Amino acid sequence: MNQSESNSILENLASIFAKTSNDYDTLKIYVENDEWVQTATKLKEEHGFVFFSWLSAVDWENEVSVGDPPKEHVDPSFEILCCLSDVSDGNFAILSTKIEKTNPTITSLIEVFPGSNWHEREAYEMFGISFVGHPNLTKLYLPDGFEGNPLLKSYELLTREVKPWPGEVDVEPMPESDISSESEKEK
Amino acid sequence: MTTTIDPENLPFVSETSVSVEIETEGMILNIGPQHPSTHGVLRLVAKVDGEKISNVEPVLGYMHRGYEKLAEVRTYPQITTLVNRIDWVSGFCNEIPFIAATEKLMEVEVPERAKYIRLMLTEMARIASHFVFNGAYPLEIGALTPLFYAMEDRERVLDLIESVTGGRFHPNFNRIGGVKPAAGAGPATKKDIQDLPAGFYKETRDAMETILLACDKFEDLVGGNEVFVARTKGVGVLPPEVATAYGVSGPILRASGIKFDLRTTTDYLPYKDFDYDIPIGENGDCFDRWFVRLQEIRESAKIVLQAIDSIPSGPLQAKVPKIIKVPAGECYVRAENPKGEMGYHLISEGGLGPYRLKIRTASFSNISVLPWILEGVLIPDLLAIMGSFDFVLGDVDR
Amino acid sequence: MSFGLELIIKIATVAAIAPAMALALTIIEIKGSAYMQRRPGPLHVGLRGFIFPIAEVIKFIQKEDIIPTKADKSVFKMAPAYIFISVFGLFVVIPASPTLIVRDLELGVFYFLAISSLSTIGVLTAGWSSANKYSMMGGLRAAGQLIAYELPLILAVIGVVIQAETMSLVGIVEAQKELGLPFIIAGQGVAFLIFMVAATAEMMRVPFDMPIGESELVSGFLTEYSGIRFLLFYISEYINLFVMCAIASTLFLGGYHIPFLPEEWVNFYGPVVLISKTFALASVLILIRWSFPRFREDQLQNIAWKILIPVSLVNILVTAVMKVVL
Repeated sequence: MNQSESNSILENLASIFAKTSNDYDTLKIYVENDEWVQTATKLKEEHGFVFFSWLSAVDWENEVSVGDPPKEHVDPSFEILCCLSDVSDGNFAILSTKIEKTNPTITSLIEVFPGSNWHEREAYEMFGISFVGHPNLTKLYLPDGFEGNPLLKSYELLTREVKPWPGEVDVEPMPESDISSESEKEK
Repeated sequence: MTTTIDPENLPFVSETSVSVEIETEGMILNIGPQHPSTHGVLRLVAKVDGEKISNVEPVLGYMHRGYEKLAEVRTYPQITTLVNRIDWVSGFCNEIPFIAATEKLMEVEVPERAKYIRLMLTEMARIASHFVFNGAYPLEIGALTPLFYAMEDRERVLDLIESVTGGRFHPNFNRIGGVKPAAGAGPATKKDIQDLPAGFYKETRDAMETILLACDKFEDLVGGNEVFVARTKGVGVLPPEVATAYGVSGPILRASGIKFDLRTTTDYLPYKDFDYDIPIGENGDCFDRWFVRLQEIRESAKIVLQAIDSIPSGPLQAKVPKIIKVPAGECYVRAENPKGEMGYHLISEGGLGPYRLKIRTASFSNISVLPWILEGVLIPDLLAIMGSFDFVLGDVDR
Repeated sequence: MSFGLELIIKIATVAAIAPAMALALTIIEIKGSAYMQRRPGPLHVGLRGFIFPIAEVIKFIQKEDIIPTKADKSVFKMAPAYIFISVFGLFVVIPASPTLIVRDLELGVFYFLAISSLSTIGVLTAGWSSANKYSMMGGLRAAGQLIAYELPLILAVIGVVIQAETMSLVGIVEAQKELGLPFIIAGQGVAFLIFMVAATAEMMRVPFDMPIGESELVSGFLTEYSGIRFLLFYISEYINLFVMCAIASTLFLGGYHIPFLPEEWVNFYGPVVLISKTFALASVLILIRWSFPRFREDQLQNIAWKILIPVSLVNILVTAVMKVVL
């Protein structure tokens, strides 16, 4: 994103909404649950953010069964992210809201952006989040008999039971040096 | 002599509902997952009435490989290898936004020469991907010959990519901080390091000139064919408001009339140093989508010709530690893939791998508009429209 | 000679020529398409490509014969036979010279048009009996297409019949000989074009191969056929191509006649001339096949009903008027 050109638009947005952050060229707008649809509508109609890019969720958890746990302590919750963009200058904004982990629900954006249909179905099957108002909340990717929500941090991978993370970190040896046994162990 | 026919006890009953006359109302036709034209394993459950389709529901997931979960248990260089295979027709373009995201979080400055090489390879991958479309789309409409001409021109580009990176489809050429040097040439941070093979400049120039001529040939051969025009003009019109509401991006959006190309807004590749047009269409039908992609081949060839003349010299990679740990933060980086907008939202917590990597692929959103656009069309039009969307299943199912 | 001996000789000749012509046309198709598409395989491999048709025939013969369980078995087996019989029946009236013809029927043209419509039954039953939705859709499309294009075929030929004043095919060639010009120049040029378009549609070749829409219906009504049954369809398609082009060259291009050669040798050069004219027309059709995409259903029907039939009716009117005036 071109910093100089889009700064003014983003500064304008940052001033309208209560809580925003703009690190690494990514504008994030934090809203409450009940303002979710309202904020999306406002961005679409007043600020020209008509392009629906994606919608997904993040599972914040302190104990993870695969991968690395977060560095600092976090409150266990789901963070729903929705990225909207405009089609003239290339600015984008990421809406973010937090919902609780037990019985996670949130209103669906399908009235505002019809394209959120499939993204919400994917979030439903990967995380178990239910979207109120969605006409057809069924599995999208996973086969019919699948049980569980794969992208939850508590979902265990069989291969990682056998070979725990992180394993031997493989570093590609330079061609002149001797091929050490390290790079062969990590296979 | 009269015979009575008892519909319940007909001896040979096939799948359709049979009575005295052939009934084809409300027949459910399964197109795919194995089908000559669905670009992979996509299944469309279509409710047809004779030849007219009343309702289409795509069923996805036949190619789901679980990239987002895999990314949580891989280190950053390992993910570069994985990510190549999302949109396998244009392999190099998938790596770029991911590497740019990690470089942004690590605040690493990539040397100029590496940026130019990345840009050239991206444009070459774009040409290769659009040639596949140019060859395969007339095949679905019924013209059997342009496929061979397109593949021949594509081979030139793939040979160039292979001579630089060693791989035709999945180069795995990027490293965090730059690109990979030729094998055995020493550490990548050295200046004046050998990377491009001998004769590369001349071969690239010749190949791009040939490709520009080939584009003219395609415009006459396929675009001037009356049957092709009759099959694609006015078919599958996508209005721009619907396109943006569904998140359709790339050449499809530009064919509907919106001049939006993410190449003008990327700052991690030096697109502003080059002079190129952004082709748009007028009606948003299949012919426009085909034509926009043909024009884009021309523009990419022009960019590569300009880039070849002005590559700066210098090191190929910035200095990064051997074991890469990206500091905590999150950012979203997006790029103009040949199929549309591809983006990576990277949430890192300072570990060896990301905490969460969300991959936004172009074909997933492009296909979500299919149920809207395919209502009430005939079956041959369904294939023409689906072919013009140019999706790849790896992109859809991740 | 006695009737029985003559019959046997004629049957044997037709049975030998028909597959030979189909083989020759297959070779032209394979090598022509390889030249157009820059594929070196059929140009160099295997005796410079001439072994391909034989290889294909052997391939089909040794395949397993699969009949779907739910298919209507007797109808399924008879379907290729309908088409095969109809194309063989058309050989009866093709004149290779005034005497080298199986039987010079007085109603040659009528016979030809009637028998060529029989193949429609074969296509329909093949699509219906396969117990497969794709085949059925291919069969339905074929029904619409074949019936629609019968009419322009018939109407185009009527102009020739009016001009030649006879329905016998030898008579038509003699009329062209007397006139000194083939009918394509002597006023039936439009009818020739209509006939070729309608013939391409009757043979279900690209650009009219909706029923076998390869990239959509996986082979249309032919999907469930394999092995020798498919070989019968395949060979009948090429024999049909030969027959249609032979009839077209007889009706419009002068058949076995060439102006400057002596009459006594007509039994020797007649067949050669006829075959070369036929192959020239077939090559044009092959060229068109590999250059054009296929038409959609409604566009196909549009062309037949809204364009070809009115034009052919006008052609008949003009021919009749000119016949009376001149």
